[in-house]
Amino acid sequence: MYRNKKTGMIGIIITIIILILTVILSNIDIQKMSYLENILNSLVMPIQNGLTYLKNKMEGNESFFTDISKLQEENEELKKKNSELEQTLREYEIIKSENETLKEYVNLKDKYQDYQTIPAYIIQKDITNYNQTIVINVGEKDGIKANMAVIADQGLVGHVISTTQTTAKIQTIIDTASSVSCNISSSREPIIVTGTLEKTSNLKASYIPTDATILESDKVETSGIGGIYPKGIPIGTIKEIVSTKNITDRYAYVETAVDFKKLETVLVITKN
Amino acid sequence: MKKFFSIIGLILTFFIIYFLQANFFNWFNIAEVKPNLFIVFILVIGLFIGNKLGFIFGLIFGIYIDLLIGKAVGITGIMLAIIGLVGEYLDKNFSKDSRVTLIFMVTGSTVIYELGQYIFQMLKWNTNFEILPFIKILIIEIIFNMVLVIILYPLIQKAGNYLEKVFKNKSILTRYF
Repeated sequence: MYRNKKTGMIGIIITIIILILTVILSNIDIQKMSYLENILNSLVMPIQNGLTYLKNKMEGNESFFTDISKLQEENEELKKKNSELEQTLREYEIIKSENETLKEYVNLKDKYQDYQTIPAYIIQKDITNYNQTIVINVGEKDGIKANMAVIADQGLVGHVISTTQTTAKIQTIIDTASSVSCNISSSREPIIVTGTLEKTSNLKASYIPTDATILESDKVETSGIGGIYPKGIPIGTIKEIVSTKNITDRYAYVETAVDFKKLETVLVITKN
Repeated sequence: MKKFFSIIGLILTFFIIYFLQANFFNWFNIAEVKPNLFIVFILVIGLFIGNKLGFIFGLIFGIYIDLLIGKAVGITGIMLAIIGLVGEYLDKNFSKDSRVTLIFMVTGSTVIYELGQYIFQMLKWNTNFEILPFIKILIIEIIFNMVLVIILYPLIQKAGNYLEKVFKNKSILTRYF
């Protein structure tokens, strides 16, 4: 193909522009664009809010018919579970009273009670395959700010990355760009968990200390290091430990406590 | 006037695709993988309208998507703008009047778009490069996009020819003679 000098120059200029743009873009703070985001959001989010509401309503109706046949089976299962739970509840009561006395000894406050939270609905999940961000229906008006931690009743969900007046964008812990400093709750060994592309319910735990003993089904919780997530919020359980030739490279898969596929409501921690 | 209404129509189509991606395809997916109709949309604009409109639409819609749901502002804009330019380039060198060529174009565009997005993510957030899961998701996404193009082909062809007439002011085959 014929190429003259001019086309070559244009190619070089375009490449340079793309490179400069990449550098600029990778340094933009999304929170600074909040004004623009506000305007653009107001066009889409009210409709999205309505659609989510409709979807939730319709899902409720569907399950009414399909679930009738399963109810009996579930009932039996639940009865069995109930008796098991009663047993664990008794054990729990004993441990709780022990725990309370111990706390009194060391003068510790119950941290979970100190959290001030705001409940929110998820109005939008991500539209692409490689990101795992969600949008919730509370924003600056309700006191939400960037970098606040978001939890669900089972455990950690993620943190707020940007806000508008009425919505907030959350980067979940299953996003590949997310990494959370954690502890294994039994041995107190520090690890870092990051999101993976493989499965939405899996996190990858790395930087495991070489002398640490970790076991499958060990619980993992936040360590409080980093300043975003408060200490002691459950993240999940260790599902599989992968040993490598070099022990420093070994890693583990952590199954998240929160079921992100079914997640509909969350709590934003506004004050630790 | 026709141009103005066509642009309004394109903007409305963008919103329809956005709500489809956010709601319908969150439920209707293959192994948790969603298609990406934005790529097909911008490619079609680049192919049929040209005149750098694919580039401009890609940039604006991409930045809009980034502001609504993205972690960083701009990368979707740049990648969709590139798809718009790719569309224009393909229009100059290949015939778009067959289902098969359009399918190949969509496949190539999907690879360029997702690869660009993923490399940017790796650079910005220092994420691990998970090659196998990435390829698996990419292949499923390409297949999904292909199926959608096969289904939507008559609509794309009709709308595309109309847009070409409105924006390029010439009948479809003149430049081949």
